[in-house]
Order: sequence, then C-alpha cells, then structure tokens
Amino acid sequence: MKGKNHSFKIKDILLLLGMILPLAAGIVIKVLTTPASDGIEITGARIFFRLKLPVQDLLITESQVNSWLVMISILFLCLFLTHGLKEKAEKKRQLIAEWIVEKTDDLVQKNMGPYFAGFSPFIGAMLALSAFSSLLSLLGLFPPTSDLNIVAGWALLVFLLISYYKMKCGPLHYLKSFTEPVSFLTPLNVISEIATPISMAFRHYGNVMSGAVVSTLVASALQGLSLLLLRWLPGALAKFPLFQIGLPAVLSVYFDLFSGCLQAFIFAMLTMLYISGSFSPDEYNAYKARKKRTVTQAKGGC
Amino acid sequence: MQTLDVISVNIWQILISLINLLLLFLILKHFLYRPVKKMLEQRRKTLDAAYEAADAAKTEADSLKKEWKSRMRSADAEAKAIMEKAEKRAEADRETILNETREKADQMVRQAKADAAFAYKKAEDQMKQEIIDVSAKISEKIIGREINTEDHHAIINSFLDEMGEDHDGKQ
Repeated sequence: MKGKNHSFKIKDILLLLGMILPLAAGIVIKVLTTPASDGIEITGARIFFRLKLPVQDLLITESQVNSWLVMISILFLCLFLTHGLKEKAEKKRQLIAEWIVEKTDDLVQKNMGPYFAGFSPFIGAMLALSAFSSLLSLLGLFPPTSDLNIVAGWALLVFLLISYYKMKCGPLHYLKSFTEPVSFLTPLNVISEIATPISMAFRHYGNVMSGAVVSTLVASALQGLSLLLLRWLPGALAKFPLFQIGLPAVLSVYFDLFSGCLQAFIFAMLTMLYISGSFSPDEYNAYKARKKRTVTQAKGGC
Repeated sequence: MQTLDVISVNIWQILISLINLLLLFLILKHFLYRPVKKMLEQRRKTLDAAYEAADAAKTEADSLKKEWKSRMRSADAEAKAIMEKAEKRAEADRETILNETREKADQMVRQAKADAAFAYKKAEDQMKQEIIDVSAKISEKIIGREINTEDHHAIINSFLDEMGEDHDGKQ
C-alpha cells in the first residue's frame, strides 16, 4: 500500500515535470537563439530549419516549435488531471477535470445541439490550444497565434468541417445552396463562403499580433521617453529604463491575458456556430429518407 | 537567424498546424474526455444502484410497517374480544350467583315462613288443646261430673274458631 502510494507520487511529479519542461525548453531555445541586441523590433517567427519541398519550402519556425511544446504540455496536463480518477472525487484535480469536461459538453450542447455532442473534445482542444498559445507570451515566448499560418490551419480545418457537413445532404444540394435565395447572388455566396475561414484566421491572428505590436510600440516609446528625461545623468544611469517599469505590465494583462483568452473563446464560438449552422439534422433525415426510397424503387424496377 | 515576415503564408505550415489541432483533439479525447466520461458513467451506475437499494429498503420497511400495524390492530381486536368475553362471563357469573343467592334467600324465607306458620299452628293447636283441657277440668270441677269429651271438644272448637275469626278480622 505504501509502495503504491510512493509510485503514485513519483508518477505525479513526472507528469508535472512533463508539463513544465516543454515550457522551460521553449524559454531556453528562445534565449539561445535570440541575438544579443537591445533594439525593439517587430518581426515574425524565427526560422529554425528549412526543408526543400515542391510548392514552397517547409519552414520549421518558432511558432511551430512553440505550438508543439504547448501540445506536449497539454498532453501532460491531461494525464496529470486524470491520474488517479476515482468515483468518489478525492483530489482537486479530478474536480477540475470534471469541470472542464462538463463545461465544454454544456457549451457544445447549447450552441450546436445534441447532434454535435461528440464535438466537445474538438472544441476543448481548440480552446486549449488557442488560449495556451496566446498565453505563451506571458513567458516571453513567441505566441504561435500571432503567426498567420497557425491560425489559418485551424480556420482551414473549420472550413473543411463546414463543407463536409454541407455536403452531407448530397453534393447537388450543396451546389444549389449557393444560388439561394436568388441565383444572381451566387458570386456573393461563394465569396462569403471563402471569406469565412479567412476572416476567422485574420481575426484571431490580427488581435494577438496587434496586441504584440501595440505593446512593442508603447514599450519603445517609453524607452525613448526615459532616455529623453534621464539624458543628463552620468554614465549608465542615463540609460535607466524608468518608464518601462510596471507600465507595460498593464498592457500585457490586457493584450496577453484577457485578449488571448477572449480570442480563443471567440474562435471556438464561431467554429461552433458555423458548423452547426451548416447542417440541419431534419434536412439530413429527409435526404436520407428520399435516398432510401429511390434505392428501393430502383430495386423494385429490377 | 532569419525571421518570417509579419504576414507570411506557407502552405506546409498551415497543414502542420491543421494536423496539430487534430492531434490535440485526439489527445484530449483519449486522455481527458474518455477517462472522465468513463468515471462519470461508473459513478452514475453506482449512484443508480445505491438509489435502487435505498428504494428497495424503503419499500421493505414500508411493508414491514404495514404488517406490524395490521398485526397490532389484530392484537388490539383480540384483546378487546378477550376483555368482552371475560366481561360477559363475569356478568353471567354474577347473574347466576345472584339468582342462586336470591333463590336461596327466597327458599330460606319460605322455609322460615313455613316454619313460623307451622309453629303458629302448633302453638295454636296446643293452646286449643290446653284451653280445652283447662276448660274441661274447670267444667268438671264446676259441674262435678264427667262430661263427654267428644261433645266438649266440639263445643270448644266451635267457640275457638269463632274467637279466631274474630281475632283475624281484628288484624
């Protein structure tokens, strides 16, 4: 019994390490690869690795690596939360795990209906990945969500899902849905269909990126201001970053903490609304019944 | 080290990110949702079982209570019946004893009356006899000769009867 308890605790510690180590590794990589320069600049993700591929070169960038680190961290978080689940909840982490599952289930049920109940892990994954990616900037790492490619990938997946559910009622029905309500609106319908993923991607990316840009601009402005005021002081004191103490933290709370979580929620919300709006179970059932009838008629004809 | 532009599009990166999201979906499904749902299901089952057991125990207790109540009621009725029976018997006993006593008393009274009447009669007769005897002796002495006892008896008797009637009438 005691030995079992011991191994349980050791596993706990290992899982916690699995959560923390990827983030620490991210910080180490960042420190090692950042060239020593005090200039504040606005750039995209650093490119670690370049692979020759047909259409475009495959670039392994900071944002890719960071999102993998986040994924590993979330994996260990899940393992940690579900470690030692019991019918009678004894540990706080079990309550947290139950809370997460029940809340996402509720959210999906409310916004998408019972047909899409299986979507709750997907929405949970989306929320977790987006929120944790944005929150990486709190650790001084490059947030993957401020890379358009990352968010575009998620938006593309959502677009594929929307199209899949629209196609479920037959390809003809799908094509016909573009000519509604009037046929001359078809180009507009096509545009709005394509605009959906693009607007989703740019909304998320733009929010996080603009937060970083505004933070950087304010930080550099404050740096200039303190240089201007303390110019007369001798030596290193002249470069003392007086106004950079504290003030950027307020912006960080808004742009990194609040905006990051809010954008994750908005992205997940839009995903749910678009997917559930692209499909109605009644129509699908009618389509299935019609198909069945034609099949039986064909058989009868034979 | 090179950096990307602020806005750059790379198909492979987009694909990788798409796959990342799918992977994380699978991770969450396998390592968070499945175990938690399984545990919740199990908990629901045990709770259902507990509720069922509680319901069964309650119905059993109810039936036991009903049984005991009915038993108590029957016991009450029995006790009542026994009491009534005992009362009836006591009443009957009392009645019979009373009757017997009354009878006995009546008999005793009758006996006493009869005895008294008999004694009265006897005394009367004796007194008659004595009167007759006395009167006969007196008459003998007065007259000086023997009177026919038979005649004498008849005369006295009639006299006494008259006297007795007179006496009865006065009473």
